[in-house]
Parts: sequence; C-alpha cells; structure tokens
Amino acid sequence: MDKKKMKILVVVDVVILVVLIVVLKSLQGGYEEQAKRTVNEQESSYLEKNTQVLVEQWRSVDQYSMAWKLVYSMLSGAKTEAAFKSNLAAIENDKDARFKQISHLYTGAGINDAVQNSIYEKAGLAEGTILVKNEKGSKEVACGKNCVVKFTFVKGKLKNVDYSALVQYNLANSLKIEKPAEYHFE
Amino acid sequence: MNLKNIAIALTVLVFGLIAMLFMQKGNYVNQAKEHYDATTAKSFKGNSMVLELVNNGIETNKSTWAIACQALQTVKTSQDMARLEAKFFPATKGTMSITNKTRRFEASSANVIVSTFGKVEEDKKTGVKSLADLQSVDVSVLLGNVVASAESDEGAEEGEEE
Repeated sequence: MDKKKMKILVVVDVVILVVLIVVLKSLQGGYEEQAKRTVNEQESSYLEKNTQVLVEQWRSVDQYSMAWKLVYSMLSGAKTEAAFKSNLAAIENDKDARFKQISHLYTGAGINDAVQNSIYEKAGLAEGTILVKNEKGSKEVACGKNCVVKFTFVKGKLKNVDYSALVQYNLANSLKIEKPAEYHFE
Repeated sequence: MNLKNIAIALTVLVFGLIAMLFMQKGNYVNQAKEHYDATTAKSFKGNSMVLELVNNGIETNKSTWAIACQALQTVKTSQDMARLEAKFFPATKGTMSITNKTRRFEASSANVIVSTFGKVEEDKKTGVKSLADLQSVDVSVLLGNVVASAESDEGAEEGEEE
C-alpha cells in the first residue's frame, strides 16, 4: 500500500474513532441513566409490595389482639350487652395498650424493636372499629384477616361467644411475601 | 513504515471501540441486575422471616389465649386446667403453687397465664393435693405487662402434678 493510501486510512480511522467515542459516550450516559432508573423503580416497587404485606400483618395482629382481649373481658367480667359496648370502646381507645400487646407478641416471636418500629411507622394501628356487625343481640368483631368472632346476647345477657375463628387463626395462608420478578432493563 | 503501524493500530482501535459499543449495554444490564437481585433477595429473605416468625408466634399465642378463655368457661379444678393445657400443648405442663393457690402455664416466656383457685383439696386416699374453684385467669403477660405478672408469681412453689 502506498504512502498516500496509508494517510487516507489514518485520517478515516481517526474520524471513525472520534465518531465512535462520541456515540459511545452518549450511549453510555443513556444506559447508565436507564439502568439507575429501572433498578430504582423495580426495587422500590418490590420493597413497597413486601412492606405492605408486613403492614397488613401488623394491622391484622392488632385486630387479633383486640379480639382476644374482648373475648377474655366478656368471659371474665360482666356478661352483658352493655359491658360488650364499654369493653370494646375501652379496648379500641387504649392505643398504648394495643401497641404494647402487638409489640409483646412480635418480641416474643423474635422480632427486634428496630424492625417493629419500622413496621409501626408505616402501619400505625388498625383503622376504624373492629365491630363489623352491630345488631341487637348479635355482634361480630373482626379478629384479623378473614377472621370474625361472634357474640350472641339474649335479653341483654351474653348467651354465646363463638371465637373458634380466633383459635384457628392462621395468617400463613392469606399473607405471603412474593418472590421478586425478573429484572427488566427496558 | 511508521505510518503503516499507526494505520494498523488505529484500525484495531476502531474495531475495539465497535466491540465496546455492542458490549457496554450488556455491562450496564448485568450491573443493574446484580444490584436488583441482591436488594430484592435481601428484602425477600428478611420480610419472609418476619412474616414467618410472627405467624409462628401467633400459633403459640392463640393457643395460650384459648386456654385462658376456655378455662373461664369450663375449668373448675387444677386437673381440668391440666387437661386443657395438654389439649393445646401436649408437651408442656403447668406448675402449681399450693401455697398461693395458683397454677402457672408457660407456653413460652412471652405466653404465660396464671390461674388462681379458691381452695386446696386433698385426696384422702393418696394425699395428693390439688386446686379447686377457679377464681380467675391472669393474662397480664399476654397483654404485654410482663413485669407485673412476673412479680405476682414470685415465690411460687412446685405443687403436685396431676
């Protein structure tokens, strides 16, 4: 190859190199931005979904704990419809006691304070009342996810408490942490 | 000669850059995937463990509550209580304090109930003492009031097991 052709080749190479470097740099920035964005979006979405399960579990445990306390109150104290009303109000309104009872269960299960607090910060306590049916002589309270306790009164006196749902309470079937989906760059 | 070498080197560089151009996307995808996999796997493992531990905790807790509530409905004597305990926890037995007329059942350190009876009865043939006339079932520990309950049970002595 003669010297002139060599010179042309060098010039063409240099031009191509410059173009390639420009393309490389611009794509690099685009890929980096896309990688960061997609990772953040997909990680946040998964973590949020997971946290939501723990939030739901915490609130369910709150309802579960209140329901047990109510059943116990009704069996150990005055067995009247009026007592049911006052016991329920006292239990629902004592938010410190509610937190203490949930926290005690979590601590007993081996969950440390830091984890409990991080869940509590997002979950708070179960909202609203656990009273889901309030008819004369027949009351029902929610005792967690898919759980209801039934109280029957006759002439204002407690006739029966059906808390079998509480005894059989099992969150394992209704709350699950899903495995993460595959990461998608696009 | 020098010009020839430079031309060859630059051409190699051009092909190298073209290869990099095609590979760089793969590198970013791999790095991003590694980060995503590590973060989500940690979250999956940690949160699954919390979920499972709490569910296991509920298993013990609900059975202890069930003993307390069913005791209020059906139990009269410490023998009745022992049968109820065995129904939910076949491997765990409660302990009696004849002096305090109490029976303490501890499913775990977080799940304790203390039943208080009204009187002590003694089998005339065997001399075995038991408790009768259930007065109350203390669920302070289940409510998270651990200290108060521990103090009330202090000094309890072992009684006769049924």
